[in-house]
Amino acid sequence: MIWLNNVTKTYPNGSRGVENLNLHIEKGEFVFIVGSSGSGKSTLIKLLLKELDPTSGDITINRVKTNELSRNQIPYLRRNLGVVFQDFRLLPNKTVYENVAFAMRVIEAPNRIIRRNVPAVLALVGLGKKGRSYPNQLSGGEQQRTALARAIVNNPPILICDEPTGNLDPETAWGIMQLLDDINKRGTTIVMATHARDIVDDMQKRVVTLKQGNIVRDKKGGYSDEA
Amino acid sequence: MRPSTIKYYLREGLSGLKKNLLMTMASIMAVMACISIVSFSYCVASNLQHILQQMEDSIGISVFISGDPTSQEIEDMKSKIKGIDHVIDVQYISPNDALGALKDDWGAEEDIFEGLDDTNNPLSHSFQITLDKIESQSGVLGALKGIDGIDNIRHGQTETELIMKANKVFNIASVLVMLILGIISIMIIMNTIRISVVNRRVEINIMKYVGATDWFIRWPFIIEGVIIGMVGAVIPLLIGMPIYAKIVSSLYNYIPVIKMIQFKLMGDVYIVLFPVALGFGIILGIIGSITSIRKHLRV
Repeated sequence: MIWLNNVTKTYPNGSRGVENLNLHIEKGEFVFIVGSSGSGKSTLIKLLLKELDPTSGDITINRVKTNELSRNQIPYLRRNLGVVFQDFRLLPNKTVYENVAFAMRVIEAPNRIIRRNVPAVLALVGLGKKGRSYPNQLSGGEQQRTALARAIVNNPPILICDEPTGNLDPETAWGIMQLLDDINKRGTTIVMATHARDIVDDMQKRVVTLKQGNIVRDKKGGYSDEA
Repeated sequence: MRPSTIKYYLREGLSGLKKNLLMTMASIMAVMACISIVSFSYCVASNLQHILQQMEDSIGISVFISGDPTSQEIEDMKSKIKGIDHVIDVQYISPNDALGALKDDWGAEEDIFEGLDDTNNPLSHSFQITLDKIESQSGVLGALKGIDGIDNIRHGQTETELIMKANKVFNIASVLVMLILGIISIMIIMNTIRISVVNRRVEINIMKYVGATDWFIRWPFIIEGVIIGMVGAVIPLLIGMPIYAKIVSSLYNYIPVIKMIQFKLMGDVYIVLFPVALGFGIILGIIGSITSIRKHLRV
């Protein structure tokens, strides 16, 4: 599903984002990307989203070599990738329902399908009754659930999460993790960058540890001390 | 494009304009200023053109003959004039015909000619010469000077030259002013749309992440620009209609000599001006919006 082949990203100011990464993620996997600040997690996420292009090496997502995509084709790559951020990034002047429907409208889904899928996905994330609320009327956990609903409403095969529990208390974070686990069990590949040691230890999934832009460990189990 | 998508673009475009009302008004006024100049220039230029055309059609050269020539001498002279290049018609006008025409022209005030008749008519024999085009006038005048018996030549050369020169100067000046105002309008529109884009940068960012195409993101802003351009064009065009009618009728009323020439009818002016000015306004809007969103699409 995701292949990184000798991927290096050097920023224009000379700092190294990631160096010579080789990573293969299978369809349906749940992979944590861990590491301290500056280890290259964010760079890796941005490379996957094609927000950044690698300086060398190539990235293949869903059988598409992202280096070869033209600017016009990037939106179609991103339709295969759901994204969840630490800061939720909801539109404050739109209701929960509208925030989720927005992701479908943007890819020009017919209204009929929007009216069918949005309530279903809101029910899935446990916000079935919150459709008419605005983001500022929701708790942090509910906001992240909304963001999650928006990320999966178009049924992307891959879900990329950048510190999705970073702004949440442990209990709420755990709720989100269970939701992600459910989504993963339905067949969605999940790549999640995180600092949260407890969560990684509890989930017992594949853990890729980055240090100074290199993969120093890639193993199923808990958080590593090397990070 | 789905109808629901078009509805979405329109709704988003309008809401952007509303949220940013002050800048929207400023942009509309900038476009209005620009379109007013475009309209004014077009009205003046097209009327000058129209008047030149009438002069070409009607004003020729009048040649007056000294003394009392015989009909044979008149015939000779007529054929000599006819032989000059660019002359398409020569008409002999006897003093009597001239007096009659003069009386007709002055209409109600013809009593100033009272007492004048065949016996004491002070007017000369003359020829009315019609040219193929106004530019050939000076050449024909030169040739006429070589013909004996001609007392006086009257022609509209200075007037036509003046109008042609005025037309040229006016065209250049109006293009320059239009260009400057056009650039100012585009800059103000760009600023307005840019504020609208910055207001929605989170939205644009999310749109990019969920896979919106650049065009999907651009359309609402283009619609904002188009609406600014359209409103900015239509207002001065509508205001201009009664103003044009008023100016033309005042000119006819206060300067009687002007009755000899005809101004363009409002319908004739607007059938060209309306689509051109509207299109120009819309183009200003589109250029303003596309240039301002370009850099915000790089995510």
